[in-house]
Amino acid sequence: MSLFSSLLTPQLLEAAVRLSTPVTFATLAAVVCERSGVTNIAMEGVMLVGAFFAAWAGWITGSPWIGVLGGMAAGALFSLLFAWAAVSLHINHVVAGAIMNILSFGLTRYLMMVIYGRQGSSLALAHTLQEYKFAVPGLSLIPYIGPAFFNQTPLVYLSMISVIVLAWVLKRTRLGLSIAASGEHPMALETLGRSVVKIRYTAIVLSGVLCGLGGAFLSIENSDSFTEGMSGGRGFIALAANIAGGWTSGGGFLASLFFGFVDALQLRAQSLGIIRIPAEIFLAFPYVATIIAVAGLVKRSRPPAAVGKDFKAEGGDE
Amino acid sequence: MSGRHGMRVALVVAAILFALPGALLYLASYFWGGWLLAAAATLAVAARLLSVRGRKAGIDWLKALLSRALIPVIGIGCALAIGAIIMLATGYDPAASYAALFYGGLVRNWSVSVLNAVPLIFTGLAIAFAFQGGLFNIGAEGQYYIGVIAATWLGLRLDMPPQFSIPLIFVAGMVFGAALNAIPAILKVKTGAHEVVTTMMFAYTMKTIAPIFIRANGGDPTHSSHPLTTDQISDKVFLPLFKTFLPNANYRLHVGILLAIVTALVVQFILKRTNLGYKIRAVGCNPVAARTLGISVAWITMASLLISGAIAGMAGVTQVLGLDHRMYGDLNAGYGWNGVSIALLARNNPVAIIFTSILWGVLDAGGQYMARTVHTPNAIIEIIKSIILFLMLAETIYEHFGSKISARLSSRRLQREGGRS
Repeated sequence: MSLFSSLLTPQLLEAAVRLSTPVTFATLAAVVCERSGVTNIAMEGVMLVGAFFAAWAGWITGSPWIGVLGGMAAGALFSLLFAWAAVSLHINHVVAGAIMNILSFGLTRYLMMVIYGRQGSSLALAHTLQEYKFAVPGLSLIPYIGPAFFNQTPLVYLSMISVIVLAWVLKRTRLGLSIAASGEHPMALETLGRSVVKIRYTAIVLSGVLCGLGGAFLSIENSDSFTEGMSGGRGFIALAANIAGGWTSGGGFLASLFFGFVDALQLRAQSLGIIRIPAEIFLAFPYVATIIAVAGLVKRSRPPAAVGKDFKAEGGDE
Repeated sequence: MSGRHGMRVALVVAAILFALPGALLYLASYFWGGWLLAAAATLAVAARLLSVRGRKAGIDWLKALLSRALIPVIGIGCALAIGAIIMLATGYDPAASYAALFYGGLVRNWSVSVLNAVPLIFTGLAIAFAFQGGLFNIGAEGQYYIGVIAATWLGLRLDMPPQFSIPLIFVAGMVFGAALNAIPAILKVKTGAHEVVTTMMFAYTMKTIAPIFIRANGGDPTHSSHPLTTDQISDKVFLPLFKTFLPNANYRLHVGILLAIVTALVVQFILKRTNLGYKIRAVGCNPVAARTLGISVAWITMASLLISGAIAGMAGVTQVLGLDHRMYGDLNAGYGWNGVSIALLARNNPVAIIFTSILWGVLDAGGQYMARTVHTPNAIIEIIKSIILFLMLAETIYEHFGSKISARLSSRRLQREGGRS
């Protein structure tokens, strides 16, 4: 009992929400892509590239806000390459995603050497988004939930807003319906005169922007520099969160919160040091939790019918 | 006709007789072994030409062979060109870098290239094996680590003659590698959980908890800034070195490369010539059709993932017994992702994996030499590798340009013929 009460503090909830943010962004990216019929395992790499360019743009200009834009732009551009490979060149989605991951590791390592002349971590930013932490008046006073959700840094809020916006886009707009059609029955969409290729490009680039934001959170909000491999498997955890959340924006957010909670628990348990267990066991929590989540929840939901399937319009021009 | 057949058999036998010592010598940096390999290749081509009827068919076969070799050559050439542009744009000298890369990888540190290729062949084979069954074992790196752990643990403790202990360690590594894939396999079969997520998560888990094992087996926790390593395993279980039969071979070169090549041939045999391999490929091509043929898709999925894990476990065992002789804490080995590249590049063909692994090994060894001598960051090699991969897998690029070129050629021919008439 005392163990639980010392673990479950308001700080823990606050950390859970904070640490779920990069997973939330990547999960939303996964939702958009999979709903449009694209299996995107490139997200890990897109986040990494986003994190690098966010740190670089923020470092060069001295403004973390420009850093965020840099992360978003880099994520979008890098994803465009994935879209070209998977949609236009008809490379198997999983294979194309694997290539993008490999490219992202090499690209960030090379640019580290070219720009910073060293391996490991980039030079620290003078200002990070951590400085812009603010409490939402009123809402932050709600006990427990208030400080956890409404006393946060900008990208944490942006991730929550994105969840709502994406849910609305997918449900209520023409674009959202086209994305769903592209994932369920691409041929039908094509017969209606809308281009599956365009829809999938849009979805992938949008996912790139979201992953770029997730990467920016890692490098310039939760930290002050880029570290090689800092995405730490979150792109893959997001795939699991997307499945656990039933391919929906809100469900994905709840699943991401769960992973954020596991991550926070891991940090808290480590810092408390009350249990004499090697720290590495705690570090592995999020990965084990992912396996358990996928194992327990995958059966209940149904993926979009055409997800991961290549689309070639008959007599298509490209 | 029968005389021709006898001659063909004789040519094939001669080709093999040249190829075996040629390969052995070449791998051990006796470069004149290359002449034997060239002779073997000539004999093999001659044998093949004898079996084709007629001159035209022979020429067609040669043409097909050349055009098949064309895409890899164009792909690698274009990737190097793009790499050169990147180097120029970032202020490095591409000519000097490439000179160092190929001199280092192919000549000076050729033995390092061969050593690099050994674990890559195994992880590449592991991934290709799963691929043939329609599964993506992206977490082969995790199975590599567990193979390393099994080999180190037993290597530190086993005290028996090497002819017993070495096979025992290999079996243990394979069992552990397979066991690590058992949960993803069961989940895949029972719930449909995607193996990309589950195997990857197991790889991250292994990577994260590996230091616990290292500390328990001699790693010094007080020196956290140094790479952690376990104690050295017993020298009784070291794999034999090339030096014992070829005195000028590099002192680190071990017979693991031969084991890897034999494993590739065995995997090729399993996939192409056995009932199990046929079923695995059937499930990989079309699970629905395989089911109607009476194949149990669930069992075949289990079998592919478990065997894949076992092969990846062998990679770890070979690395420990052959080269490292201990477990290193610096776990960014990248054998998982590189294994994916190698399998994709070889289009999951086990024999081709030997060559793509050596190519990757050359690029890695040459890249290190390049970084040391001309100070071009060797991360450029990772970029070039992914561009090679990209260009080789995007067949539609070539179809697109190929059809454009042939359209232009045929229109030119039409014009010429039109002008003549």
